Amino acid sequence: MEELDGEPTVTLIPGVNSQKKQMCFDWGPGEMLVCETSFSKKEKSEMVPGCPYIHIIRKDIDVYCKILRKLFNESHGIFVGLQRIEEELTGKSRKAQLVRVSKNYRSVIRACMEEMHQLATGPLLLHLLDWVRLHVCEVDSLSADVLGSENPSKHKDFWKLVTVLVLQGRLDEARQMLSKEADASPSSAGMCRVLGDLMRTMPVLSPGNTQTLTELELKWQHWHEECERHLQDGTFASSPHLEALCKIMLGDEAALLEEKELLSNWYHFLVTRLLYSHPTVKPMDLHRYAQSSLDVFLGGESNTEPLDNILLAAFEFDIHQVIKECSTALSNWWFVAHLTDLLDHCKLLQSHNLYFGSNMREFLLLEYASGLFAHHSLWQLGVDYFDYCPELGRVSLELHIERIPLSTEQKALKVLRVCEQRQMTEQVRSICKILAMKAVRNNRLGSALSWSIRAKDAAFATLVSDRFLRDYCERGCFSDLDLIDNLGPAMMLSDRLTFLGKYREFHRLYGEKRFVDAAALLLSLMTSQIAPRSFWMTLLTDALPLLEQKQVIFSAEQTYELMRCLEDLTSGRLVHGEPDAQQLQDDDIETTKVEMLRIGLARNLARSIIKEGSLEGS
Amino acid sequence: MVSVINTVDTSHEDMIHDAQMDYYGTRLATCSSDRSVKIFDVRNGGQILIADLRGHEGPVWQVAWAHPMYGNILASCSYDRKVIIWKEENGTWEKTHEHMGHDSSVNSVCWAPHDYGLILACGSSDGAISLLTYTGLGQWEVKKISNAHTIGCNAVSWAPAVVPGSLIDQPSGQKPSYIKKFASGGCDNLIKLWKEEEDGQWKEEQKLEAHSDWVRDVAWAPSIGLPTSTIASCSQDGRVFIWTCDDASGNTWSPKLLHKFNDVVWHVSWSITANILAVSGGDNKVTLWKESVDGQWVCISDVNKGQGSVSTSITEGQQNEQ
Repeated sequence: MEELDGEPTVTLIPGVNSQKKQMCFDWGPGEMLVCETSFSKKEKSEMVPGCPYIHIIRKDIDVYCKILRKLFNESHGIFVGLQRIEEELTGKSRKAQLVRVSKNYRSVIRACMEEMHQLATGPLLLHLLDWVRLHVCEVDSLSADVLGSENPSKHKDFWKLVTVLVLQGRLDEARQMLSKEADASPSSAGMCRVLGDLMRTMPVLSPGNTQTLTELELKWQHWHEECERHLQDGTFASSPHLEALCKIMLGDEAALLEEKELLSNWYHFLVTRLLYSHPTVKPMDLHRYAQSSLDVFLGGESNTEPLDNILLAAFEFDIHQVIKECSTALSNWWFVAHLTDLLDHCKLLQSHNLYFGSNMREFLLLEYASGLFAHHSLWQLGVDYFDYCPELGRVSLELHIERIPLSTEQKALKVLRVCEQRQMTEQVRSICKILAMKAVRNNRLGSALSWSIRAKDAAFATLVSDRFLRDYCERGCFSDLDLIDNLGPAMMLSDRLTFLGKYREFHRLYGEKRFVDAAALLLSLMTSQIAPRSFWMTLLTDALPLLEQKQVIFSAEQTYELMRCLEDLTSGRLVHGEPDAQQLQDDDIETTKVEMLRIGLARNLARSIIKEGSLEGS
Repeated sequence: MVSVINTVDTSHEDMIHDAQMDYYGTRLATCSSDRSVKIFDVRNGGQILIADLRGHEGPVWQVAWAHPMYGNILASCSYDRKVIIWKEENGTWEKTHEHMGHDSSVNSVCWAPHDYGLILACGSSDGAISLLTYTGLGQWEVKKISNAHTIGCNAVSWAPAVVPGSLIDQPSGQKPSYIKKFASGGCDNLIKLWKEEEDGQWKEEQKLEAHSDWVRDVAWAPSIGLPTSTIASCSQDGRVFIWTCDDASGNTWSPKLLHKFNDVVWHVSWSITANILAVSGGDNKVTLWKESVDGQWVCISDVNKGQGSVSTSITEGQQNEQ
């Protein structure tokens, strides 16, 4: 990734040809905009109209392919499982686990390929596993076809099937096919049996086998010679099919090349060739055979494709080259990111230090995860990938998660949960604020309040509480009572909010006819300075009905307090300048209120003094 | 592999000067020499015209979306010396404020990080930079930095908000004190860094000199949690510089030449995670750059305008990647 071996990819945007125009652009959260423009700012408009199109471009559009979505989902599970292995196991069990992970990835890929195979259309995005599609999936369906027919050995594709099975080294299945031919056609039964025996006795190195490589070599040599002998003796002379199969099993290059179509690519040719001519090949020799297989198979006809380069690099065990080739050849980061991650866990990767992510694994995972965020639901997978990038994962997640459109409440809650679980307080606050503001604009004050509480945003809670109070003044009742009644400790978030909660409590107490408690609360709201000055008049007005109750509710002491509050309030109100008509009218109302309060308070004072002064209890 | 996923027909009657995606990538704002500002809904590959805003009396040079927490707000600046702020209220877009404090074309507008409140910086050909701060109830407070750049200011870009350490200890209801900074580029070939002092006045903190001709654009990179600050600048002289500052005091800025182009470079912009810089130049290309392991900047992609006959339809066959 350090140097670019080739020129950077040029993407042509369809548009109008021109000499004087340039391209302006902007970054979106997951895409780019480009459009034609002219940067040299001229005041006069041009005679020739410009191109009115704006193109939105994106890389990694494969993210949107439905089939790949399943691949991404399932591989995500495997990925997360792999990260957790690290903590638990060591040694042999660890190695077994890693192999299992690799197999899991492969089976997931295979499932994806099978699905793709069923879709006749659509580009094959994972070319690397072309042969899985062709040689496993196709063979299976061919096999089903032939075996399902009435007379399998007479099926037109019978010999094709047997040949493919031999090419793939599936000799047991090939033998079973031959026995059907033997049953159906007695004349060739003898030959079939001989060939079948050869197939059965081919020495293979299998796990659990205790023989050494040298022993195997020896046995294989003998077997090879026996096959050769049969060929020379003309055992299969009367059946060109069987003879061809024998030649294949001898690793005869010409015979193999005859079946070019069934092999279909050079790496299958390589595997078959090695199977039948160099079964004990050593890893270090692999790349030589790979190169020569490629040359022989292609016969100098066509140029190598990017896939070929990837495989050649793989056969040389040049991991970095593989990753490099994959990165350029493949259209999205899925494969190379997961592969590198697995290799890293196997400790096969020596890290380079890159600016973006402390090592290549992280760099690739970041690229892959960023791509996922462009999708409306796959972003959730991306979160886990970022989690396992120790250097830049967190900050990348922070930057991406804020850009997810909060189209529904459920989505917003999902996003918030992700942020809260990771203590991303800034993002929580920002997202809650956005939602709270939206709620305020749509007059859903209860919703706005709960968002600001969740954001622990005191300033905004104050703002919303003010709105509630203002609404109350205008309409005489509260909205969203449930919410206010059940604020609990959240009430402490801001003074205004506390006041709102307490004020509502006052109304509740009053409603329950617990007048003494209500009165005490009302007074405390003013004396504790929790109530904003602007609201005192309303509070005092609320006190009026309490003052006019039959029984005396406010004590003398309390009445004095109330009077003090009232005087405090009125003395602070001086009229500045010339009062206009509206102001005069307002003043009138004010004056009347104040007078009523004064009368009420005075009366209450008298009654309370008398009550407290007399001898009776209660 | 880069593919065109949507093409929006803006129906602008004249040259388009700017196009900006909103925060979530769901809406697109465009502005043009035809004096209009248009807004499209581009979700799911569609294009629905939401608003056609008229109000400018000259070519409109730039548009900028405010952070979504303030609602749907868009700013635009124009040759007519005005800055207009548009707002969506009850489903319709309207002009909510007009700023006429400049004597010449306003070339660039940029919203400050949302943590600072709703603040807009505007750079003008009269050499001044004005800062509009929303103070509530439809009121905007204006601060002006006169003679920020001789001959004219071409670009403004805000520094990302740095969370002050004492954020957690702030008493409830109080706004935390951020150090607000932004960069500007001008016709005096300079990039200037500005800082807000405690008294609310803006002071020139740094001068970055490296260009030999007018600075056309500056872009301050988003913060990725590293202690370094990074600014990209481009100029009439064909050069793009990457400026980095390592120390905490923010005093020493060192430029690194990204590339010398053969023509004027007009526009630079960072991707949201700051790992790719896009550069638009007079050579009809948008190039994408990334920093490699040894600190060199490498071009990773060329996005080229199509060559060929005039065509208004886009078919699969015309999308071509090598």
